[in-house]
Amino acid sequence: MGKLTGKKLLLLGERDGVPGPAMAAVFANSGAEVLFSATECFV
Amino acid sequence: MATVGIKSTAYCLNFAPELALHYGGTPSQERHAKPDSDYLKALPGQVQSYEEAAGYAPNKTYIGAMSVDELAAAPAPWLEHLGAPERYGRYGEIMPEDEFIGFMDICDVFDLIWLDKDFAARIREKLAQDPVMGESQMARLEAGHEAAEIAEAVEKHGALPLYLDGAVVGCCRRAHDTDENLAAHVMLENLACKASGVLALLHLIKNSGLTPGDIDFVVECSEEAVGDTMQRGGGNMAKAVAEIAGCGNASGFDVRGFCAGPATAVITAAGMVASGVRRNVAVLGGGSLPKLYMNSRDHVKKGLKALENCIGSFAVLLVPDDGTEPVIRLDSVGKHSVAAGAAPQAITSALTYEPLTRLGLKLTDVDKYAPELHNAEITLPAGAGNVPEANFKMIAALSVMKGQLKREEIPQFVAEHGLPGFVHTQGHIPSGVPYMGHARDAIKAGSIRRAMIIGKGSLFLGRLTNLADGASFLVEAPAQTDGSGSTAGVTRDEVRELLLDALADLAANLQKN
Repeated sequence: MGKLTGKKLLLLGERDGVPGPAMAAVFANSGAEVLFSATECFV
Repeated sequence: MATVGIKSTAYCLNFAPELALHYGGTPSQERHAKPDSDYLKALPGQVQSYEEAAGYAPNKTYIGAMSVDELAAAPAPWLEHLGAPERYGRYGEIMPEDEFIGFMDICDVFDLIWLDKDFAARIREKLAQDPVMGESQMARLEAGHEAAEIAEAVEKHGALPLYLDGAVVGCCRRAHDTDENLAAHVMLENLACKASGVLALLHLIKNSGLTPGDIDFVVECSEEAVGDTMQRGGGNMAKAVAEIAGCGNASGFDVRGFCAGPATAVITAAGMVASGVRRNVAVLGGGSLPKLYMNSRDHVKKGLKALENCIGSFAVLLVPDDGTEPVIRLDSVGKHSVAAGAAPQAITSALTYEPLTRLGLKLTDVDKYAPELHNAEITLPAGAGNVPEANFKMIAALSVMKGQLKREEIPQFVAEHGLPGFVHTQGHIPSGVPYMGHARDAIKAGSIRRAMIIGKGSLFLGRLTNLADGASFLVEAPAQTDGSGSTAGVTRDEVRELLLDALADLAANLQKN
């Protein structure tokens, strides 16, 4: 049981940093549920 | 190897703080959600004057009133060390907002922009002083309307008021009573994009020493959607721009790809010129009205001037390579494929390492990299980081991973192969192409041999895919020897081999006979 088990995640990626899908992949086996994942751009 | 010459370039800014205040995306959304917010109250007190914007080193660099080296040596923060205001540079100009409002009317063919008649008279005199404004453009400026007519259009017919110094000097009317794609705010965005694109094209024609009739084709690469409810995004902004610039012999089309649009458009245009399909192609992009004051919430919060006050535009003219102008190498094009992945490292590898390796070049063989060249004085206070520097570090790290650079050489690589960001956060506008003019000058002066232009687009913002996109290409001196044995033309060894083959064929034929 990881410490994220049962948690719900909202993932906001940044275009020139870490994109949303990359974070979702990292958390795929964490036991957490990804409710929303997107990448935004501020430039 | 196919190469295409870069005949000339143009870069313009349209100073537009009132358009930013009223119709920039961030203030506009805030006005709907929290009309009494502290941010909206403070914003008008933190604007730049035209003189401040025209004396701001990054803006001067964009229009070619300063070189990139001069910008790098200029005292920072640039915001606190304003120089002498310069309206015109080698590439273009910083047009004041009153003239830009008048110029939008010149570019309007459906009588959507209405100007107050006193304002129209004043602006006519000012616009006529602009060296790129011809008779055909000036003849399009309307005589103007009574203030009461404009007030009625705003109050009863959905028009948007246009302001100068807080006073209404005109309006932008809707182009249809019910079609939201032709609503006043959409038409204002498209007309601002069109007008800024026309200004860049006029400067491009002037800088190239050609006439408008010499332009064969126009490729436009902004991020606006032109169309009505039946074909939203149908285009063609390119031909609309060419019409106003007097390019009667040109046709055109649009290329879209978010911020990767300009690099993709240059590659598309270069392919058409190299193949002989077009005699020449002007690639241009008008700017984005909604992105004005995009990060101003953070600027205001930190007590800074709201710097995102200029609509940017650019144009480059591509011609057949005659050996006299810096060239785009079509064998150097970098592609970010669907399968490449969205990680920054994967994108950087696809756009830099892979095309260079294909050519037998190392990452260190490129003198200057030009990724997105956002001005860090805009992005850092907004928490978006120093975008170009992050890109240079990523390229340097990739060089280390590939064994082409030592880890301790990363800072030196970033300093030597990078450049300071000097471009407004106008989406597609900063995307590599603003360096094409400076690169052309530096190559002609012999201070650099090779530059790589890199564009990256946030396709995921359209919510149809999570993918990003990117494109890249090399700009070099014509017929350049790179030291690795390959050249931009045919090598002496290749010529010798061709001659030997021909002589061998001749000898064989003589023996047969």
